[in-house]
Parts: sequence; structure tokens; C-alpha cells
Amino acid sequence: MASAQSQEDQVLEEETSFVRILTLNRPRQLNALSAQMISRLLELFQRYETDSNVKLLILKGKGRAFCAGGDVAAVVRGINEGAKFFSKEFILNYLMATYTKPQVSILNGIVMGGGAGVSIHGRFRVATENSVFAMPETALGLFPDIGASYFLSRLPGFFGEYVGLTGARLDGAEMRACGLATHFVPSSRLALLEEALYKVNSSDPAVISAVIDKFSLEPYLKDHSAYHWMDVIDKCFSRRTVEEILSALESESTNRADAWISDAIQSLKKASPTSLKISLRSIREGRLQGVGQCLIREYRMVCHVMMGEVSKDFFEGCRAILLDKDKNPKWKPSKLELVNDNMVDQYFSKINDDRWEDIKLPARSNLPATAIAKL
Amino acid sequence: MDRAIHRTIIIKNHLLQPNSDQILTTNACLSYSPPELNEVYDFDLKEMRKLLDGHNLQEQDWLFNLMVQSKLFNPRKRGEKVYVAPDYNQTMEQQREMTMKRISYLLERGVFEGWLTAKGAEAELRKLALLEVTGIFDHSLAIKIGVHFFLWGGAIQFFGTQRHHEKWLRDTENYVVLGCFAMTELGHGSNVRGIETVTTYDANTGEFIINTPCESAQKYWIGGAANHATHTIVFSQLEINGKNQGVHAFICQIRDAAGNICPNIRIADCGHKIGLNGVDNGRIWFDNVRIPRENLLNSVADVSPDGQYLSSIKDPDQRFAAFMAPLTSGRVIIAGSSVYKAKIGLAIAIRYSLSRRAFSITPNGPEVLLLDYPSHQRRLLPLLAKSYAASCAANYLKMMYVNRTPQSNKTIHVVSSAFKAILTWHNMRTLQECREACGGQGLKTENRVGHLKGEFDVQLTFEGDNNVLMQQVSKALLAEYLAAQKRNRPLQGLGLEHMNKPCPVIPSQLTSSILRTTQFQMDAFCLRERDLLSRFVMKVSQHQAEGQSKDYALMLSYQLAEDLGRAFSDRAMLQTFIDTEATISSGSLKNVLGLLRSLYALTCLEEDAAFLRYGYLSTDNASAVRNEVQKLCSEIRPHALALVSSFGIPDAFLGPIAFDWIDANAWSSVQ
Repeated sequence: MASAQSQEDQVLEEETSFVRILTLNRPRQLNALSAQMISRLLELFQRYETDSNVKLLILKGKGRAFCAGGDVAAVVRGINEGAKFFSKEFILNYLMATYTKPQVSILNGIVMGGGAGVSIHGRFRVATENSVFAMPETALGLFPDIGASYFLSRLPGFFGEYVGLTGARLDGAEMRACGLATHFVPSSRLALLEEALYKVNSSDPAVISAVIDKFSLEPYLKDHSAYHWMDVIDKCFSRRTVEEILSALESESTNRADAWISDAIQSLKKASPTSLKISLRSIREGRLQGVGQCLIREYRMVCHVMMGEVSKDFFEGCRAILLDKDKNPKWKPSKLELVNDNMVDQYFSKINDDRWEDIKLPARSNLPATAIAKL
Repeated sequence: MDRAIHRTIIIKNHLLQPNSDQILTTNACLSYSPPELNEVYDFDLKEMRKLLDGHNLQEQDWLFNLMVQSKLFNPRKRGEKVYVAPDYNQTMEQQREMTMKRISYLLERGVFEGWLTAKGAEAELRKLALLEVTGIFDHSLAIKIGVHFFLWGGAIQFFGTQRHHEKWLRDTENYVVLGCFAMTELGHGSNVRGIETVTTYDANTGEFIINTPCESAQKYWIGGAANHATHTIVFSQLEINGKNQGVHAFICQIRDAAGNICPNIRIADCGHKIGLNGVDNGRIWFDNVRIPRENLLNSVADVSPDGQYLSSIKDPDQRFAAFMAPLTSGRVIIAGSSVYKAKIGLAIAIRYSLSRRAFSITPNGPEVLLLDYPSHQRRLLPLLAKSYAASCAANYLKMMYVNRTPQSNKTIHVVSSAFKAILTWHNMRTLQECREACGGQGLKTENRVGHLKGEFDVQLTFEGDNNVLMQQVSKALLAEYLAAQKRNRPLQGLGLEHMNKPCPVIPSQLTSSILRTTQFQMDAFCLRERDLLSRFVMKVSQHQAEGQSKDYALMLSYQLAEDLGRAFSDRAMLQTFIDTEATISSGSLKNVLGLLRSLYALTCLEEDAAFLRYGYLSTDNASAVRNEVQKLCSEIRPHALALVSSFGIPDAFLGPIAFDWIDANAWSSVQ
């Protein structure tokens, strides 16, 4: 059992004179974030921030995944435990987003959900030909959380809506093209890259970027990548409502037979209608907010999801995808048109209940300009 | 000579100073500290924004999203942040083309869906909410859209009948036709009834013939005419069988679909302006332009095929009034949009004042944050309070407009005139103060506040010159008063009911707690209004008794008319603030609204000389008010950031000085 593994073992720590290397170490669970891992990462990040010997952090995953997400199955087992889990995870996301020292995440494998949360907020994200990125929450009855409404909304045009609503999988080249990754390094050169980074004795982003640049290349987008159809994505995913997005996609699909469009339509039809609507609203609000506001709002949303007063889709999603694995969730409400604005509003409202207090993000000060801009 | 020696000694001391190292060590570099880190939020910003914006917030956010994510809106990176604003360094022609491109983009995204074809208050509110957002990006964009939908489209809706609606509304909504609105002439602006364009009817062909008889009759300032519009509404005198039937509106094509100017039409540019250069204002001359009989917008009057003039309203005065009534929408929109502009200015200036320091008051102490100077608070916070009052007023006006009935037309006319004038004046004053409060940074176009002055100055003039509007308000109040007197009935409507009650008494000792009551504030405002109204009535009748005509008597009484117009507007606005406050249950939000309302009311008392001139306040009262204003400023100071954050204007629509201005100006961002 993974839980038998001690906290230290789940996150391996190595160090050189000025660099700390953290490795997520639950390879059999694709490095899914457990509560212990989150606590450990939080503790280490806090310690490194005040340690003047630490100039640079590297985060990577053991095995074929960087990190496949939060350990959702564990979350569902205990609701109030769940809120605590999310709260710690979001605080870690906030700390990373406003960190004073550069973080390099090596995304040589699966990066999903919570895995994106512990990497994309950091300064440098290195993709490889093995990278697989996705925010699959809408298929699970949840919504892209962990501050995703901040970073998805800042992708070019309305690509963030596409990625966040459909849960589309992106490869390393697509991650680089849309900006989720800052660099693309072939996995064969990763060892050399890490070796070069170990020698870094500066926190200057320009210096670190220059080091990674030496191993980077501009990858080719595959021919059928959705990214080639940004104009269509913009046209469809900029529509005001999920229903309009879906019908815009459907009318596009009559003119063209691209696989990505039919995949997108299929994904939207399979996802939880409630999830789709709150996800779209979340991304749209997130685009106009700082990362802290995004996390506070998302935390409220998570609490509403866990309380299940409007919809219990999250539990149904976990049952169908993670526990029973019948992959046939019965969403309720079952259709987009049954989810009205008032129901969506409720996910964004403040909860007057001690058990679901607003998240308190730690006060940050002396931030570099990169972090200030995110506030 | 002494001076030279003195300076030599100083220089010598510098050079011989043993610890010159120490002396020359520089202060630690200034670093930007985001106000968010030091200020507290005492109330829910989202709740406050809901209160201020009133409706369609998601819709507004969607439109913000559309603009932020498109290259067409000229995103520029300054430091780590991205801002959107038009490139005002482009030529006038380029700016106009960009405005059109932005409109096409918004059209394609479905922003204008239902703007003319959907019915009901809800659809109207959605339209107004979206238009306000376009104006937050750029006034030219909002005006270009406004002319097309509200002036051209509105004229067809309101002056036209079914045949016009069917033919034009959908095509207008889809920009198949591009409309403009030719009312103003070189020789006549506010006085629409004096325009000189003449239209006659030819019964043989069933056509109207439009003419510009002289240079002063050329249509002037016609937004959209210089480059893009294909059609226009023409306002013209209608002469039937040699008899002038007064001003009427016609539809006239001015360009073909390819953009060529139609025969018998001449168009020239109005040229470069102090702002709004993204709008192609033009001038139009009509040389015997023939249009079909059906192009007369015939909701009020018509001409039969054989050339008979038909109207259900026989009195030309009433006919003209019926014609003009629908144009109120323009004033409603301007009043609303001017509040948003003041908000942009305040959000920028107050955010800057919470991150910029100047002078220390103790030796070696840190420099003082601008907004911690009471004088700086006094400059900005009363304007902030008034902007909150103005939001309430604009919302009230908007709701009254979208729920209008034939009975409410008069009230809408008077209140929209009053609020349009007061709110646009407030906007210009606010922008000027904010510009100065930002110092040199306020002069940079990218920081918006200074530039917005030029962009929005026109609001004081279009849809009725502010001074003329204020006179109309006073004139309307006079008419109400006289009518009530004549019929020996109490006053009713326009909020004048207070005049039927006994005159309020202002306590001789004004304590802080009295000053902050709505009772006292309302009493003071009502006292001023009722007294000024009776003085105005008296003055006018005095002049009339001396043998002057009524119009001349009104003209001579302009001083009281101005004071009265302001008194009415301020009182009406305070009432909307009080009403809004009453919708909130007690708590921190209500408390801060109370402070703002008091600051707004007391600043009015402090600033309008009428209170002292006519003795509504004693000099002791006046100094008590002044002290309280200062106290209120210091109590609102801790909420300043929360109050401007509640405006809901996304960061990208403010300027670099509102955020990390050091990073935005760093050498690294030059390269």
C-alpha cells in the first residue's frame, strides 16, 4: 500500500550546492499526489524559500509519469478530509505561483490535474516527446481546479476553454506551442540538462532559461494537432455558453471531418453537464483575476462540489471512472439545458458554514515581478 | 563671492571625507509592493460589484474575455503584465479601420445578437451592459457601435413603423447595412428645430427630395459618415405644398455596398479631433437627393402618395416632443458610460497612490505613501464616493428607461438630462484630478487617465450641451411648480413631494453623528432645492411682471436656474444612493456604503456655495461639515483598494502605473 510508504519516501530529495531536486516517488500510482506528498512538498518549498543556499528547484517524477493528479480516490473516501486535502494542495499551488525562486519541472510523462497544479504555476516547464498533458476533470464530475482557471485562461485565444472543457490530451509539442511548457527537450538529453542545471548558482531566470535553451529544440506539431485549427477553436470556444460552443462545433463538423472536432464533441457530450458549465464560468472569471483570487474561488467551488447540494456528479464520476470502472457515469442533471444559471451561481457563492470556510492563502511579500504580476 | 567660497568648502569636505564610502552608499532600490499585500478587504468585493454593475455581470465578463484574448485589441506587454488599449499612435485612418475590424470580430462572436430584434427590458439591459464594456476598452468603439445601434437603429425602431422594422432591423443587427444619424448641422446643434435641411415631396414620382440649401445646413459631426456608413437617418424640415410641417426623419442611402458615395451626395471629413479619432465623423451635403416615399419614418406623421400631410398630433410643439422623446436613450447611455470612465481613472490613481511614496516626514524614515497624505485623500476619496453615488444614479436611470411607460417619459426626460450633465461633469473633473494625482505618469497615454480626458470631453456636449440640459431641468421644475399652484394641488413626481411638507430645520449644532444621518443630509438637500425653486419661480415672475417674455425672463434668471438644476440633481442622486443602501442587509458592506454616502453628501454641502450664500448652513455648520469630510476621508482610506477593486474593471484595462510600474519601466522591458 502506498500509504504505508513514509512521507519522505514519497518525495525524494537530493541536493547540490545551490540546487534541490525533488522527485515524486509513487510510480505505481503514476505519482498521484497523496496528502502526505502535498504536506511534504509544502514543507520543503517553505524551507527552501528562506534558505539562501537554495537558488533553484527541480521537480520531476519517477517512472513514466510526472504526476497523474491528486489522489482523488482517497479524497472521496472522506468528505471533510477532502476539503482539507484541497486546501493544502491549493496553498501549495499558490506558494509555487508566487515563489521567489525559480522552479524547473521536468514533465517527461503524464501531467494531469493536480500534476499540472504543481508544475505549470512554476517558472519553467520542460516538456519532452513523452509528455501527455490533460485536465480531465469534467469527465469526472469535477472542474479544472488547482489554479487551472488562472493558467488555462491565459493560453492563446480560447485554447484554454478547449483544453479545460474537453479534457483533450496534449503532447509535448502542443504544450510548447500553447505555452503550457516553456521548453521542449528530447528525453534523451534530459540527463545532460539536469547535470547542467545542478551547476547553476543563480536564481536569475535569464540564466536558467539560457541553460535550458542549450538543450531545447522547437518540436514539430503533428499534422492532425488541434493547434493547427486555432481559428476554429477561437471561433467555437469563445461562444458565451457551453450550449453555444457545442452547437458551433457541430456546425463546424459538418464542413470538415477533422478528428479533433468529433473528439471534442464526443468529450463534451460525455462530460458532466454541471461540470462543463461551472468550468466555463470558472475559466472566464479566472481570466480577469489574479492567481490568488482564482484559487480562493476554485476552493469555494470545490466545497460546493463536495457538499453536493446542486449535483453529486463528482461522486458519481469517481464511482464510474475510478472505483467501479464501468466508465458509464449517470450525470444528474443529465443535460446541459437542465443546469440553469442559478444552479451555476450557487457554486460561486460564499458558504456560511464553519466546516467550509474560505481558504486562507498565506501572506506573501518581497516577491519578484514575475510573481507580483500573478497576484 | 561668499557663495563661491561656501561651495568650495562643501566640495572640499566631500572629497576629504574619510568615510566617503558610507556617504555614497545608495539607498536600497525602491521596490514595488502590491497594494493587495498591505490592504485589507473588509467586505465581499463581488457583492459590491453586483451592486454597482447591477445586471448581466457574466455577459460583461464574457465580453472582457473576448477582448483580452484577441490580437485585434492590441495587447501590449509591460513588464510581466499585459494591457489592452487601442494604439492611439496610429493615424486617424488606421484607428478608424481598427474600430471597424473590432466591430466585425464582436459581430462574428455573437455580441450583437438580439440588439435590435429581441424585445423587452431584459434584452435592453443586456445590450446596455455590453455597450458599457466596449466603452471601457475604447470610447471610439462604443460610440461607433452606439451610433449604429442606438441612433440609426433606435430611430428606425422608434420613429419607424412595421415596414421599416421588417426591412432594416435585422440587416442592421448583422451589419448588412451600416447606419449613421444626420441630425446636427454646422449652424444648429442643440436647437434641432432650427435645422435648415429641407425636404419636399414630388407626388408625380412618389419621392421625397432632400436638399442642403446653404453651407450652414451641411450635416456635421455625423459619426460613421466619413468612411463607413451606407445609410443615414436625415433630419430635415418637411415642406408640403409650401407649408413647413417641422422636423421629420428620413432614411437615405449614402453609399453603395462597395463603399462608393451615392450620386447627389457629397461627403467630407470632420478631420482630426481631440479624441475619438477611431470614429469617422463626417459632413454631408444633399443635392436634390430623391428617396422613396416609404423612407419617411412615419410613426408620428406621414405623407400620402398624393402628397397630403397626415398626423394624429396637430400641435407642432407636441409633434416635435413626441419625435425627440425616444432620443433619451443617448443620455441614459452617456450617463452610465461616464461613471465607468470615472471608475477607470479612480482605479488607476488610487492603486498608484497605494504604491507610490513621496517625501518622508521623519529623518531617515520611509517615504510616505501618497494616499496616507490627508490632502491626497481629500483629492481622490470624495470623487470615489461620488462615483458610488453616480453608479446608483445611473442604475436607477437605466432601470427607469428599460421599464419606461408613456407616463414615465417626462420623468425620464428630466432625470436623464440632469444625470447626464452631472455625471459627465463629474467624470471630467475626476479624470483631471486623477491625472494630476498620478503626476508625470498621468501624462503617458498608456496610463490612460490623461488620455481619457480628450476621449470623453465630448460627453459634455453631445446629446445636449450640459448647460442647456440643466436649464431644461430647471424649466421643467418651474412648470411643475406653476401647474401645481394653478390647480392648487400638492406637487407630485420628480421627487418633489418633499416640497409639500413643512420646511426642514437644520440643527444649529451639527455633531458628527447628526452629520452622518440620512435625515440631516436629505433635509439639507431638500431645503436647498425647495428654496431655490421658489426663488427661481419668484425671479422669473418678477421679470415677467416687468414686461419681459417668459423665455427672456428664463434667460435672465440663469444663475438660479443653474443652482436649481444642480440642487435637483444632487437630491435625486442622494435618493438613489439611500435607496440602494436600503437593499443591503446590515454588515460591513452596508457600513462602508454609509461612509461613502455621507462623504458624498457632505462634500456636496462643502462645495456648493449656495448653502452659505442663501444661509441653509450657518458658517459654524459649514465648518462642522468641512471637519467631517476630512474625518470621513480618513475612515474610507482603509477601504480604498477594496472600493476600486469592486469596480470589476479587469487589470488589463487599467494602465501600467496601476500595477508594478517599476517592472513596467525596467530596462529589461525596453529591449
